[in-house]
Amino acid sequence: MAETSLSQAKADPTPYKGSRLGGLLHRNETLRGYLLMSPTMVIMTVGILVPFIILLVMSFWTREGFGFDTTLTTTNYQRVWTEPIFGALLSRSFWISGVATVATVLLCYPMAYYVAFHVHRNKMMWIILMTLPFWTSYLLRVFAWKVILGYEGVINSGLMSLGLIEAPLEFLLYSQTAVIITLAHAWAAFAILPLYVSLEKIDKSLLEAATDLGDGPVTRFLRITLPLSMPGVIAASFLIFIPTTGDYITPALLGGPDGAMIGNFIQLQFGAVNNWPMGATLSIVLMLWISAIALVFLFVTRKAQEKIA
Amino acid sequence: MDVVDQLGSVREGKLSRRAFTRGLLSAGVAMATVPAGTRRAMAAAEDQASYFTWGGYDIPELFVPYQEKHGELPNFSIFGGSEEALTKMRGGFVVDVSHPCNSGMPRWVKTGLFQPIDTSRLSNWPDVIPELVDLPGNQADGGKIWMTPFDWGQTSVTYRTDLFELEGDESWDMLWDKRYTGRLGSLASGGDAWWCGAIKAGVPMSDIATDEAFEKIAAVMREQRPLIRVYTDDTTTLEQALSSGEMAAAMTWNSSATLLQSEGVPVKFANPKEGALTWVCGLMVHKDAPNLDRAYDVIDSLLSVDSGKFMINDYGYGHSNAKSFNEFDAETLANLGLSKNPADVLEAGHFQIPQSQEWETRMNETFEQIKAGF
Repeated sequence: MAETSLSQAKADPTPYKGSRLGGLLHRNETLRGYLLMSPTMVIMTVGILVPFIILLVMSFWTREGFGFDTTLTTTNYQRVWTEPIFGALLSRSFWISGVATVATVLLCYPMAYYVAFHVHRNKMMWIILMTLPFWTSYLLRVFAWKVILGYEGVINSGLMSLGLIEAPLEFLLYSQTAVIITLAHAWAAFAILPLYVSLEKIDKSLLEAATDLGDGPVTRFLRITLPLSMPGVIAASFLIFIPTTGDYITPALLGGPDGAMIGNFIQLQFGAVNNWPMGATLSIVLMLWISAIALVFLFVTRKAQEKIA
Repeated sequence: MDVVDQLGSVREGKLSRRAFTRGLLSAGVAMATVPAGTRRAMAAAEDQASYFTWGGYDIPELFVPYQEKHGELPNFSIFGGSEEALTKMRGGFVVDVSHPCNSGMPRWVKTGLFQPIDTSRLSNWPDVIPELVDLPGNQADGGKIWMTPFDWGQTSVTYRTDLFELEGDESWDMLWDKRYTGRLGSLASGGDAWWCGAIKAGVPMSDIATDEAFEKIAAVMREQRPLIRVYTDDTTTLEQALSSGEMAAAMTWNSSATLLQSEGVPVKFANPKEGALTWVCGLMVHKDAPNLDRAYDVIDSLLSVDSGKFMINDYGYGHSNAKSFNEFDAETLANLGLSKNPADVLEAGHFQIPQSQEWETRMNETFEQIKAGF
């Protein structure tokens, strides 16, 4: 491609008389590409790369009173490794967001499946309807769950008026359960959309062929539909697992003492505890752990897919 | 393109993808232009002073004189704990007026982020109770002061008189009562909870910085943690939980009890036999305050008798203006746990003593770990 455009430019002796830059752009496809990408690249650099480097450097500093001791050391990383609180909070975060991820994907798969295969008119409307809860802010959704799960909330008062329970169920709010339920609902759209797209893409003739060759509905699903929708499942899992692990507001409002996650602790380091370097270290460690878990997950699903195929 | 028309076509299932996209586009344009409209309408608010304060102080009742003078309320920002507020301001957040308490004030001054207050610019200054001004570390050069006292009160236990069975006198033991496991609440900020822990552990306020005190207090906080339903800086959460019966007792400030009582909830603000925790909070001005004149108006408004009456009557807090108390008889004040002479209340309890930054950080770090279960 690059060569053809280059030769075309040479064939035309005076393509852009006025502007040298225009000519350069016309000849050089790589430059053109970078220019088109430049708004995104600028945002990525300023908004992600630079803060990340600051975070990385800060994680090797230590706190000194209200300021920083800028000599580089690995003290913070050693603390994360040796003090049990950090490991416990990390594993609790992975547990909570892992369960939430599995729950979300399991609950959203049938919905996406239904729309992809059994809805023929107004599919767009269905998709919009399913994303409807996302038209309100995240904070409002979390508060809504507080109302539903609360001591005098919808569930408790409903069950009590039915006479099923005598005292309100206290485990509903301020617990890990509450955090998991809320996360599973709050992130549902991020599962439905990729699942729907991957299910929608499946060639229906493959399903017919499977039926013709004697597969029942269950075998057909396991052999054709599920493997072909795996990209959607993987995408959905990542889209939910990665942000929920570091989620801060849901456990802060609904978690209670036992539902606190690593995100809350990172926030505290930048707030009341006033140890920014430690907060930076925790963020980096969290990022590394998520990458590691994501890689393992990818590897396992790829192996599983190969086995099915 | 008519909205009603679109809704009709949705109902009939005839909305084409193109029509839908067009609808989305117009909605998007409308959404994007809304802020432009409101910003223009609220342009005046940008000229108002900004007040960085605890939740519950962002109400018009406290700014009657200010509103009369400037037509609008100041801009508010809210914090949950004063340590959080200081961290945020150290991070570059500039406001006109902020609202620390006596235990933090010397540390706030030391950060160099604040300017002394010229009391001659405050019309209500002659009525301010002198004992409240005369706090350790409050004197600045040239007869100025760092913090104008505004409100004072107690941190104690608010409990449901119908749900909580008292064993003997009211006491801090109520928040350590195993009979009410999972039905007790606490403020999340160490600035209150740790000091109350010190009272429970029997550590005198003057010894709170010793290593031994640290261990003793940490031990009682660890003992309390499994009993606590939720630690929160949001007093509304505690008030709602007390009013629904989800909690039988919680650590709160005066205002929670007063507010709940006014709603008819059977609660009482305990007067623990070990003594309550007492504090004085006040107003400090940022050194780069963008609206200095209006900052003084904010302070003057908060010190006014109007605000004082509201603070005493509706929130149950003490006020720094001596004239505010004239409206109330001694019995009403006693029921609120207040007195015309602040020293009566402040010295009867355990008055917070300013600590070093190292202590504050260590305390917060330890308390956060305890809350997380370690």
